[in-house]
Amino acid sequence: MASLGELERAVMDVLWAAPEPCTARDVQDALSTRELATTTVLTVLGRLERKGLVSRARDGRAHRYHASGTREDHIAALMRDALEGAPDRGAVLVRFLGAMPPEDQAALRDLLR
Amino acid sequence: MIPASVALLALGVLLAEPVSRALAAARWPNRDPTGALLLWQAVGLAGGLALLGAGLTFGLAPLGDSLPAAVAALADHAGRREWPPGLGPWQLLALAATLVLAARLLGVLGLATARTLRARRRHRDLLDVLTTPWPAMAGARVLAHPMPVAYCLPGLRSRLVVSEGALAALSAGELAAVLAHERAHLRERHDLVVLPFVAWGATAPWVPGMARAQLAVAALVEMRADDVARASAGELALAGALRRVAGAIGASERATLTSFSAAVGGRLHRLDQCPDRPSRTVRAATRLAALALVAVPTLALLLN
Repeated sequence: MASLGELERAVMDVLWAAPEPCTARDVQDALSTRELATTTVLTVLGRLERKGLVSRARDGRAHRYHASGTREDHIAALMRDALEGAPDRGAVLVRFLGAMPPEDQAALRDLLR
Repeated sequence: MIPASVALLALGVLLAEPVSRALAAARWPNRDPTGALLLWQAVGLAGGLALLGAGLTFGLAPLGDSLPAAVAALADHAGRREWPPGLGPWQLLALAATLVLAARLLGVLGLATARTLRARRRHRDLLDVLTTPWPAMAGARVLAHPMPVAYCLPGLRSRLVVSEGALAALSAGELAAVLAHERAHLRERHDLVVLPFVAWGATAPWVPGMARAQLAVAALVEMRADDVARASAGELALAGALRRVAGAIGASERATLTSFSAAVGGRLHRLDQCPDRPSRTVRAATRLAALALVAVPTLALLLN
């Protein structure tokens, strides 16, 4: 049984590869080799939505899901989160190279765009 | 109890200013970061106890000869629903100020903790979806980005993150040094050591001692992690890793000398100098001093 994290990654891969928004059924079919229950897919989609990675729109009676940004966008956001942050933001995370002062953060932001 | 109150106030002020200034400017912490960290914790704790204790003993002075006696007398009067004799406006002012300070210190710490946990959870949630587990090391994850970074997310559900850029830029030995450094932060819970100083530094930024304490503690925590990494991976590997990661980030910016590269320079210098640890006696004395520092106001409050 795959871990939740692994399932979330698999579902995101499906959504990122899909040309248009998918229903939960579409996602389930794309991951047919895993033999996932519909409830499992819905749970994962719900979690991803709460995390801000997936958006949902109503299409008649069905819901269609799509990724809220590309993988690169989200990774860049993670990097910004990891590298920015004034020292007084607290011990949220600890970088190998310590905090980055504000002047450098602006330069870094441009770089990561 | 009034003399005790004055003494405690003096202790509090001493710790807040001259002592913290002296400790922040001292050179010996370079050689014994753990001892210095313990001393800083003691300075913070003793300072808080002293200031709060000063207000408490002054406010309750009319009620008894010692603090426990005065508190008992207060409870007694309260139980009989009568106003404690001798409790005038000055005493009330002192007690109110003490209460306000205590509430502020605890409140700020609580808020900072909640904010930190929330930010960490948000980052961790995204991390678990956007990174892949790294097979070479349990609990480590790889972030698909060309910029070389390494960081850890402390806490009960900790994460250690290395970027693809870091994996590409660093040699095996240098990578081992980075991982050892990050794992030291996680294992020794440096986040718990740093958080109170960050929280209280934000409360009273006009008190220079607090800002100094915050910076000193952050730097000492890095020194401690560097020491652990040097012991397991060697200083060449650690220095190499520092240079490479700093160089990659520095080369991509247009800024030349920044405080960031100055901090890296400081750590490289310390690795290069390879300062000797103080003798076991001195190290023990430091730790004993930290213990004594906290014991003094505690005993003063209890025994008087």
